Amino acid sequence: MPGGIAFEFPQLYFTGLWLTIQISVLGLLGALVLGTLVAVLRVSPIAPLGWIGAAYVEFFRNTPLVALLFFLFLGLPLIGLRFSTDTFENIFRAAAVGMGLYHGAYVAEVVRGGLLGVDRGQIEAARSLGLSYAQMLRYVQLPQTFRSVIPPLGNIGIALVKNTSLASTIGVAELLYAAEIVESRTFRAEEAFIAATLLYLVLTIPLGIAVNALERRMLVAR
Amino acid sequence: MRGFARVFAFGLVLTFIAAACTSPSTTPSPTVAASSSASTRPHFDLATYQYSLQTKGKIRIGTQEDNPPFSVKNPATGKWDGFDVAYGREIAKAIFGDADDPDKYIEYVPVTSATRIPSLTDNKADVIIKTFTINDDRKKQIDFTDVYFRTGQRILVKKDNTTINEVADLAGKTVCAQRGSTSEQNISSATNNAARLLLLDSYPACLLALQQGQADAVSTDETILFGLVKQDANTKIVGKYFSTEPYGIGVKKSVGGDRTGFVDFLNRTQVAMITSGTWAKIYEQYISPVSFDKKRTPDD
Repeated sequence: MPGGIAFEFPQLYFTGLWLTIQISVLGLLGALVLGTLVAVLRVSPIAPLGWIGAAYVEFFRNTPLVALLFFLFLGLPLIGLRFSTDTFENIFRAAAVGMGLYHGAYVAEVVRGGLLGVDRGQIEAARSLGLSYAQMLRYVQLPQTFRSVIPPLGNIGIALVKNTSLASTIGVAELLYAAEIVESRTFRAEEAFIAATLLYLVLTIPLGIAVNALERRMLVAR
Repeated sequence: MRGFARVFAFGLVLTFIAAACTSPSTTPSPTVAASSSASTRPHFDLATYQYSLQTKGKIRIGTQEDNPPFSVKNPATGKWDGFDVAYGREIAKAIFGDADDPDKYIEYVPVTSATRIPSLTDNKADVIIKTFTINDDRKKQIDFTDVYFRTGQRILVKKDNTTINEVADLAGKTVCAQRGSTSEQNISSATNNAARLLLLDSYPACLLALQQGQADAVSTDETILFGLVKQDANTKIVGKYFSTEPYGIGVKKSVGGDRTGFVDFLNRTQVAMITSGTWAKIYEQYISPVSFDKKRTPDD
């Protein structure tokens, strides 16, 4: 059976899968929160805030994720910062933070596009009704944005799940790491990586289906 | 000064990542200088693999970019150096004849511990010369030459560490090693899985983790640890050998005669290198500065 090797090394593969899920969920939450904040900064009428948002997006979108992960793992301690005194907790948190920071830049661009897509007349109407800028964002612009950006956000989410495999480079024992260890122990390279691939698909395919379902439910006729 | 050394080491790690990210195939492919070396070229039997390499005009040598003192790719110049690299150049000379710059016949294929066997079985490299320990499991997958280097596994700790003296002391400690290496498996078996393994892609990264206290020890073959001590004088090597590591050159198994005579040829080349004193010379050049000893053969 393809992928059967996962059941010969359940400790490696299934704890790896669980770590992948944890990093994905934490990273995705972080990316959504950060990305939305940055997008709001970018469209804000106050120019310096817009620059901060743009700098964030350009920096993280143009940095390799591996380099970012290494910076969080081995670079931050050089200036006396680390996420935890326990090494394994530290690399886990570095991975989750790295996923959030990096994909936050992509979320920001998608959300920014959504914010700009909201009809100008709605914003003017909200302001003329006496809503403050913050209220207008909260009750008019952002809710419509989220409905329209579900499909591209789903893409980012799926990319994020796959990119968690890079956490293996800083020693996080996630799915790809499990496959590499099993490969070096058994020399059954094809089986080891097919098992990991199937387990990634177990995460990404349902995620894609869920996003499509959500998109249909939230669809707005324009 | 130490702060600088750390930043520098971190910079090195980043450079290696960057180097690993760029396309490995950008190595300029060597051009065959048929006219100049035709006369000095060794003659081989037509059926042998070394003959087909000679005809092709290049050999693909798989080795690692950051494995001092065995193989290092200079991030600034792109030039390769180290014991394994020098050994590879001797093989190139044995196939293509003496040359001022054997690198014109060599295509370097960057590998890590985990990609050594796949790069042979997928026919991405002709030989793997990369601190490659010969063992029975690996022999089922690929062929090895005779031992060209012999060492054993020991432990690297910070100089002020007094709690780790032998491999048994690693129980419960965070120990850094390369993912997919025999070192990693040796630590597990020597400590009954009691050590917490931090498995990274290279030993310079492990050294950085040790310096920062994110690892309590680094453990691998003594010769690689020598290279790390040279980089950071605030570390020391402790404990007896808890494994023996005979290195061999890895070659794809001959299928349908596609590697005929190649392992024999490599073994003969090594014998010639030892008798001529070339082996001793490259040992003195790359290993003696860190080991402070001299050897004439791998078994000295």
